[in-house]
Amino acid sequence: MARRILEALGVAVVMMALAVFLQDEASGQTPVPSGSGGANAAKAGPAPTTPWGQPDLQGIWLDEFDTPFERPAQNADKEFFTDEERTARDDRAIADAGRNERAGLGSAQDVAGAYNAVFTSAKPTGRRTSLVVDPPNGRIPGLTPETQERNRIDQEFRLALLQNTSTCKNAAPGCRGGKYGPPSPRLDETAPFYNTQRMNRHNGPEDQSMGDRCMLGTTPDFNGFRRIVQGPRLVAMGVDTGQGQGYQRVVYLSGSHPPKTVQLRHGDSRGRFEGQTLVVETTNFSQTFPYRGSSENLILVERFTRLNAKTLEYSATLTDPTVWTAPWTVTQELTAQNDEQNRIYYEPRCHEGNYGLPSLLVGARLDDKAFRAGTGPNPASHDTATCVNELPAAREN
Amino acid sequence: MAGLFRGSTVVTAIVAVALGAGAATWATRTTDQATRPAGPRTTAGKPDFGGVWQTVNEAQWDLQAHAARPAVVTQRGVYDYDYARVPAAPVLALGAAGGVPGSLGVVQGDGQIPYTPEALAVKQQNGENWIDRDPELKCYLPGIPRAMYMPYPFTIVQGTDKIHMTFAFSNAARVVHMNAVEGPPDDTYMGHSVGRWEGDTLVVDVRNFNGKNWFDRAGNHHSDALHLVERFTPLGPDAIRYDVTIEDPKVFTRPWTISMPLYRRLEPNATVLDYNCIDFAEEFMYGNLRKTPLVTHWEGETMIVDITRKIPPGDKLHEWYRR
Repeated sequence: MARRILEALGVAVVMMALAVFLQDEASGQTPVPSGSGGANAAKAGPAPTTPWGQPDLQGIWLDEFDTPFERPAQNADKEFFTDEERTARDDRAIADAGRNERAGLGSAQDVAGAYNAVFTSAKPTGRRTSLVVDPPNGRIPGLTPETQERNRIDQEFRLALLQNTSTCKNAAPGCRGGKYGPPSPRLDETAPFYNTQRMNRHNGPEDQSMGDRCMLGTTPDFNGFRRIVQGPRLVAMGVDTGQGQGYQRVVYLSGSHPPKTVQLRHGDSRGRFEGQTLVVETTNFSQTFPYRGSSENLILVERFTRLNAKTLEYSATLTDPTVWTAPWTVTQELTAQNDEQNRIYYEPRCHEGNYGLPSLLVGARLDDKAFRAGTGPNPASHDTATCVNELPAAREN
Repeated sequence: MAGLFRGSTVVTAIVAVALGAGAATWATRTTDQATRPAGPRTTAGKPDFGGVWQTVNEAQWDLQAHAARPAVVTQRGVYDYDYARVPAAPVLALGAAGGVPGSLGVVQGDGQIPYTPEALAVKQQNGENWIDRDPELKCYLPGIPRAMYMPYPFTIVQGTDKIHMTFAFSNAARVVHMNAVEGPPDDTYMGHSVGRWEGDTLVVDVRNFNGKNWFDRAGNHHSDALHLVERFTPLGPDAIRYDVTIEDPKVFTRPWTISMPLYRRLEPNATVLDYNCIDFAEEFMYGNLRKTPLVTHWEGETMIVDITRKIPPGDKLHEWYRR
């Protein structure tokens, strides 16, 4: 149970240490409109250059602000918050940090809810009303009909696995679109598509989420610390994300993409400098590591621009015509972290310490055994998938 | 038989003769410059090690000199001679593809690894229990120096104050800090590396290991007291001499050194394709915990392989895959 929450909260624990630090840092800053290097521009030095003449992108970078991923409809035409709105949002978050949030007292969900706001990040509000900046309304474009159908088939299967649980009996949000009934005849079917999310079955590792299997980190990533090390012909990016589920990328400033048959978890990245901006095109993604449902046809184009000594503007355009009806773009400003503090010192060793996955499977086998012996309930009546209720939108980055 | 890299650095005069005789002894730097083209340099005048590299030797099997062997895990053959052992059941179906190539070894000096008697016994047990104990089989982070000579390529990205190496094996990485930086708050698989230049040699001090790795597939091991001093010296534009002095007072009675070349991958568009093996290892690690066994049976022309899984009792479940 805890494993799933850990996965969903992503970098929350990593952010914890930042909360106090950032409250002090951010409280005195004035939001500045786009193009002028953000709130740090007034105090930061100029953008540095490497000794061999490229814009210097090196350092440990982090988005220090809280920005909704997508824009709610009422903000559709509004790209930036006003100072007052930012302060109001921060005041609300401080006044009610969600520490006392509980599901219905004594309910199964209440008992299962082991994490409250102590474990979630409390970053100050950023300038932008959303990370998605294109389409201009700040929302991800619609899904193609094929993807909508695929999602429907997939969700139908997941709901079938929940059919016999109290989640469905009580028509809780986790059962939306489903119904209550006896254990579904579909219980031992192979999932219709390669599973990457939690589901209410534990027949083997493939029934677990990618986070449970310690394969959570995907490209792109907008959450974690990123360390960039730059040479004249290669750029390395270490991403620390998802509590030990980070990864490394290498951008080649030469050469060409491999044949399409070579599918890679983080794709193949080729970059070039266009003026002051490093433009990176990444293709050859694997279909087993989707980002918000992306497929192996994803083309990711990223732009890295060092605005000043302390700020890196990062922009990512996702194009996948098999999934989204139009390309979409995220822009965020990353702040340089103190390199001497070496904030990426946790190597991504989730797998090496993965007690959770075998324990989950052993537990499921014990449930099976008890049910066969008549000493335990049918495992199909337990909801081990949706015990975490909806999370705030910011967690879905 | 003298190994390639025995003894101390060879003096120029002897080298000239040795080179003429075809022996591949290490040359001094001064001789290098006369016989090999210079490699790329940074604007600060230091060697630029950026690129795609790979070791080509047999160190990953066994650091020490050894004849070819039928397999990593073997059993007694018809005869009770060491040289007449046969592949054991887990690898029998691979035939000659499961064998271990011979090697002159990469351990310098007398070629011995100076274990304490207790640690030597552990090494021997490791070798016998390779399947259950080698962290490589579980796709665990391989540690240093093992990552440097596993049979997979890696990139070196040499920045202005950091050198970032990314390994194909399990997307492992290490960062060599050329500037002052705090150490990690916990011990690590890949160590904490701090580097400096001594002339054209990059010297890297590596500490903060958690002791959970091996050096090779032969069961050579260390503790969390492992401390390495690595030296990277260019051998022209496309090779690096890689020396590692290894000390671990909990395991070894004295420091010892391994040495080998690293070779640049020269094909056009040389690219490191990640060997992301976590899901490759899942059936191996967790297949015994499935509701219905998955990999159980294979049948060829002359052999049938049946696999039965077992769940270790109690805490041993985690002890097995944590070791």
